[in-house]
Amino acid sequence: MLTIKVLGPGCSNCKALERVAKQAVAALGIEAEIIKVEDFSEILRYEILATPALVINEKVVVSGRVPGVDQVTSLLADAVTQVA
Amino acid sequence: MPELVLRLLQGGLGNLAAYLAAHVLLCLVPAFYIAGAMTALIPKEPVTRLLGRSAPKWIAYPGAALAGSVLAVCSCTIVPLFAGIYKKGAGLGPAVTFLFFAPAGNILALVYTGGVIGLDLALARLFLSLTFGIGIGMIMALIFSRADLAHDKESDALFAGQGKMRGAALVFLLILVALLLAGTFKIGLLTDAYAQITLPLAGIDRFQDALFRLVPYDLSKGQEGVTAQGAILIGLLVFIGLASWQGLDKIHEGYNAWTWIAMSLVGLTLLTAALGMSPHAGGLDLQFTGRFFGVLLALGALTWLMFRRLSRDELRDWLWESWRFVKQIFPLLVGGVFAVGAIRVLIKPEWIQTLAGNNTILGNLAGVLFGVFMYFPTLVEVPIANMFLSLGMHRGPLLAYLMADPELSLQSILMISVIIGRLKAWVYVGWVALFSTLAGLIYGAWVDGTPLGLLAMYLAVLMAMLGFALWLVGRRNHQKMMAAESASTH
Repeated sequence: MLTIKVLGPGCSNCKALERVAKQAVAALGIEAEIIKVEDFSEILRYEILATPALVINEKVVVSGRVPGVDQVTSLLADAVTQVA
Repeated sequence: MPELVLRLLQGGLGNLAAYLAAHVLLCLVPAFYIAGAMTALIPKEPVTRLLGRSAPKWIAYPGAALAGSVLAVCSCTIVPLFAGIYKKGAGLGPAVTFLFFAPAGNILALVYTGGVIGLDLALARLFLSLTFGIGIGMIMALIFSRADLAHDKESDALFAGQGKMRGAALVFLLILVALLLAGTFKIGLLTDAYAQITLPLAGIDRFQDALFRLVPYDLSKGQEGVTAQGAILIGLLVFIGLASWQGLDKIHEGYNAWTWIAMSLVGLTLLTAALGMSPHAGGLDLQFTGRFFGVLLALGALTWLMFRRLSRDELRDWLWESWRFVKQIFPLLVGGVFAVGAIRVLIKPEWIQTLAGNNTILGNLAGVLFGVFMYFPTLVEVPIANMFLSLGMHRGPLLAYLMADPELSLQSILMISVIIGRLKAWVYVGWVALFSTLAGLIYGAWVDGTPLGLLAMYLAVLMAMLGFALWLVGRRNHQKMMAAESASTH
C-alpha cells in the first residue's frame, strides 16, 4: 500500500493538492493512505522550499505547485510499479 | 435612526463604486494576474540560491529582499520560505529581511497603493520598506548573533538547486506588466481619443442620472459616484466571478468552456474600462483612447503566447494561482471597502487631524499602533489609508500606517513565534513598529519640504553603521568559532 503525504500549513493550495491526490488514487483504484501534514517542524524535515508538496513513500515528488490530476496519476502509477 | 442607516449604506456603496471604477480595475485586475504569474512562473531555486548558508552578507540581504518581491505574495508562501531561509539558509538576518519585505513590497500592494492613493506613496512604500527591511534583518542578526553562532551544520543542498525561467514565461510576465502600464500610465499618448463612435442607446443618460441619485457623491471628498461605465464594469465583474467559479476552481481536473468564457470576459472588462464613455441625450459616445489600443495590443500578444508558447503546466499553474489570489483577496476587499465607506460617515475629520494631521512622532506612532492592533485583510489597508487621507491625515503617518499594517497580525506573529521563538518574534514586532514610525517621519519630512538628499544621507549613514557593526560581529564570531575548533582538535 502506498503512503502519500500532502505537506502544507493549511492554505488553499495544500487543500487543492489533497483533493487532486484523492482523485488520482480513485482514478487508479489503488490502495493508498493519504496523510495531511500541517505541522511546520514535520514539514521542514523534508527537503522542500515551498508548500504544498507531495510525498510518495517518503520521497518528495512535487513541491511548490499543485500538479494536475493526470500528472499525479502517472506519478502514483510509477510508484506502484517501483514497489512491485 | 433609519436616516443614519441610509447614510451608512450610501457611504459604503459610494466607496465601493469608487473602488470598482475603471481606473482602479485597470490596475488591480492585471496585478492579480501578474502576482499569479510570479508565483507560478518564476522558479524559486535561482533566487534562493542567493540565500544559501555560505552566501556573503552583501548578497544575502539584497537577495532576501529580491526573493520577497518576486517569490511571494500571500503568507502561505512567505511563512514556509521564511522558515526555510532561517533554518536551512543564510540565517536569521536575511530571513527577517525577507519576512519584512514580502508583505510590504509585493506587486499587488504596490500597484494598488499607486493606483488608488498615488505613485509617490507607492514608491515611498517600496523604497523605505526595502531599506528598513534590510536594516531590521541586520539588527536582528546583531542582537541574536550568539544564536547564529550556534547554527547547526545542516546541508546547503536545499538552496543549491537548478531551474531557470523559460524565455517565453519571462516575456509573458513582461507583457502582463506592459498591460498594467498601458492601463494606468497617465500620459497624453494613452489618454487621447483617436476615434469615436456613438451608440444609439436612448436613455443611457437618464440611467446615469438615476445612478448619481441612488449613490450620491461628494467630489470634495474624492468620491466619484457610479457612472454608467462603472455600472457596466460591475456587472461584468459579477459575470467574471461566476464564470471563473465554474471554469477555474477545478482546473486541475481539466479545462472546460467556462475557463475560456471567464478569460474572454476579463479581456472584455479591461477593454471596456479603457474606453472613454460619455452618455448624453442621444446615446452613448465611445471614445477609443490610446489606452484602449494599448490594452488591445497587450491582450492580443498575451493570447498568442498563451496558446503558442506557454506549456500546459505553465498555463494551468498561472490561471490557478491568479484565481487563488482573487478568491482570497477580492471578496474581503469588497467587504472592507464597503465597511470603510460606511464608517467614514461616522468619523469626524477633527479627530484625525488633531491626532495625525501633522508629521509628528505622536502622529506617526498613532498610525503604526492602529496598523499593528487592527487586523485587516490583504490590500484593505489601502482604502483605509485613503479614507484617513481624505479626513486630513498627513502623508507621513499615512505611510507609517501602510507599512505597519501588512506586516503584523496576531496570526502571523503566532506563526513567526513558532518558527523563531517568542522572544525573537516580539523583538521583531518592536523593531517593525519603530521603523515604521521612522519611515513615516522621514517621508513626512520630505512631503513637508526637507530636501531628498539630506534624508538619503541620514539613511545611508544609518545603514552604513549597521553594516559595519554586523561585519565586526561576524568577524568576532568567526574568530570564536576558529578558537573553539582548534581547542576541540587538541
